[in-house]
Amino acid sequence: MQKLLETFLIGLSTGSIYALMSLALVLVWRSTRVVNFAQAGQAMLSTYIGFEIASRTEIFWLGLACAIAAGALLGAGVDYFFMRVLFKHAVSGPAAVVAPVIATLGLLGLIRSIVGLIWGGEFKSIKAPASTDGFTIGERTIPFSPLNLLIIVTVFLILIILAVIFQRTNLGLSLRASAYAPEIAQLAGIRTARTRTIGWAIAGGVGGVAGMLVTSSNFLSPYSLDLLLVFGFIAAVIGGLESMVGSVLGALILGIGLTIILNYIGTSLVFIGGFVVLIVVLLVKPDGIMARGRARRA
Amino acid sequence: MRKKIALFIFLGWVLLLIGDRVDELRVYQGAQIAMYAIALSSIVLLTGYSGQVSLGNGAMMAVGGYSAALSLNNLGSPVWFAFVMAVVVSALFGALLGTAAARLSGPYLAGTTLALAVGLPEIANQFAFLGGVPGILFDVGFPPARFGEEFTQYKWFFWIASFIALFALFITSNILQSRYGRTWRAIRSNSLAAELSGVHSGRMKILAFTISSALAGLAGAVMAMTISLVAPGAYTLSLSFALVTGAVLAGVSSLPGVVFGALILVAIPEVADVLANRLGGDENLNNYLPGLIVSVLLILSVIFTPNGPGEKLRRRHHKKM
Repeated sequence: MQKLLETFLIGLSTGSIYALMSLALVLVWRSTRVVNFAQAGQAMLSTYIGFEIASRTEIFWLGLACAIAAGALLGAGVDYFFMRVLFKHAVSGPAAVVAPVIATLGLLGLIRSIVGLIWGGEFKSIKAPASTDGFTIGERTIPFSPLNLLIIVTVFLILIILAVIFQRTNLGLSLRASAYAPEIAQLAGIRTARTRTIGWAIAGGVGGVAGMLVTSSNFLSPYSLDLLLVFGFIAAVIGGLESMVGSVLGALILGIGLTIILNYIGTSLVFIGGFVVLIVVLLVKPDGIMARGRARRA
Repeated sequence: MRKKIALFIFLGWVLLLIGDRVDELRVYQGAQIAMYAIALSSIVLLTGYSGQVSLGNGAMMAVGGYSAALSLNNLGSPVWFAFVMAVVVSALFGALLGTAAARLSGPYLAGTTLALAVGLPEIANQFAFLGGVPGILFDVGFPPARFGEEFTQYKWFFWIASFIALFALFITSNILQSRYGRTWRAIRSNSLAAELSGVHSGRMKILAFTISSALAGLAGAVMAMTISLVAPGAYTLSLSFALVTGAVLAGVSSLPGVVFGALILVAIPEVADVLANRLGGDENLNNYLPGLIVSVLLILSVIFTPNGPGEKLRRRHHKKM
C-alpha cells in the first residue's frame, strides 16, 4: 500500500512534466493544425541556454526564467520566420499534406545540429534546485524527494497562470477564438496571425520549463528530450489533441501509469507500455478522453 | 514489360562493369546507395502513392535487420533465407501496425510512427536475445572461391546489394503501375471519391503499409550486411530523418528519383567530411555537420519544391508547351 502511494507521487511528478510538453503541443496544434515535432528541439535549445545561465550564476531559478524567455522568443521566431513562409508557399500535389510535418522534423534536426555544434554531444547536468534525496518519514526514506515536490508545485503554478490567461484575459479570449474559428475571429477584429505567434511563444516558454525540469533530475544532451516529446505526444493524444485540460489529465494518467509499470514490472516495458497506450487510445477512443461525441477534426 | 526486364538486366550489367573498375571505398558506397534506394522506394510507395506519412521507416529497417540476423545466427538458415525472413517478418509487423495506421490521418500517424522510431532502439537495448547496445553479428560469409582471389568482400556486398535493389525496384515499379498503384493515387487525391467508386480504402492503405514495411525491412537487412552487424545505434531517429529527406529530395512520388535521393544521402557525409576538415576538423563539427546539411536541405526542399525537383521541371515544361 505504501509502495503504491509512493509510486503514485513519483508518477504525479513525472506526469506533470509530460503535461507541460503535451500542453505545448496542444497549444500549437489548436492554432496552426500542425503537430510541432520541433518542440523538442526548441525546448532543448532553451534548456541549454537555461543551463548556461544556471551553471554560471548558480541560481536555478534565473536559469529557468531565461529558459522561459528563450523558449518564448524561439517559439515566436519559428512561427514568424518559418511557418508563415511555409504556408505562403501553400503547396499542392502529393506532398501537400505531409509538408508541414516534414518541415517541423527538419527544424528539429536543424536545432539539434546547431546545439551539437555549440555544446557538443557530452552529457551536461544542472544542479537541482532542491535535494534529490527522498523524504524521511519516521524510520523510512521514501523515493519521493523535495525535488519531485518542487516540480509538482512549479508545474501547477504554471498551469494556474495559463488557466487565468486563457479564461480571464482578452488575450486568452482572442487566443481561444482564433483557434476555434479563425475567420470569424478575424471578422471580429482579432489579428489572428499575431495571436497565433503569441500562442507559439506561450507554447515555446512552456516547453522550456519542461526541458529545465526534466534536466534537473536527469542529463542534458542533444537527444535527451526525444522521449519527452514522444510521451508528451501520447499524453496529448489521450486528451484528444484539442483539449488543454484533457492533455494535462492525459499526461498525469500516463505519468502515473508508466511509473507503476516501472516500479512493479521493470524498465524494459516502460516504452512498450507507452506505445501500447497510444495504439489502444487511437483505436478505441481516437477523440480522446475529453470528447463528447464530436468527430475528430484532422 | 519485356522492355522493362531488358532495361533492368542492362542496368545490372552496367553496375557489374562499374563494380570492377572503381576502388574499394566506392564499391562500399555503391552498396550503401543500393540500400538507400530500397529504403527510399518504401517511402515513395507509402507517402508518394498512398499518401500516408511514416517517420518510422528506420524502425522498420531495424525489424528487418534483426530478423535477418536472428534467422542466420539462431536458426542457422542460409543467407538468402535470412533476407526472405527480413521481408516476411517486417511485412507482418507492417500489417499489424498498418491496421492501426489505416484509421489514423496525418498528424496521428506521423506521431505514432515517430514514437516507434524513438522507441524501437530502446527496446532492442532491453532484451538479451537482441544483443543489447553492442548488437549481434550478421555475417553473410566470404565471396565464393570461384570468383578468384581478386574478388573482395566489399565487392561481394556490392553484388548482393545491387542485385537485391534491382529486383526490389523492378517489383515496386510494377506494383506502382498496376491497379494497386492507381488505386493508391486515387485514395491520396480524394479518399471519399475513391470509396464511392468502390475502393476499400482502409484495406488498400494497410496493403500499402505492409509492402512498404517489407521493402524497409529488406533495406534493413542489406544495411546489416554492409556493416556486418545489427545494433540499436545503426537504426536511430537520424536514419528515419535521413530517409524522409532523401525521399523529399528525390520527389516523393517518383520511383526513379530514389536513386538520385540515395546518391545524395551517401554523398552528404562525404561532403560534410571535406567541409569539416577544411573548417578546422573540430570534433563537434565532424559529428553534427552532416545532420545540419541534411536538415537544411530538408527544410529548403519542403518549402520550395515539396514535390521534388523533378516535378517542378516537369510543370515548367508543360507550361512552355
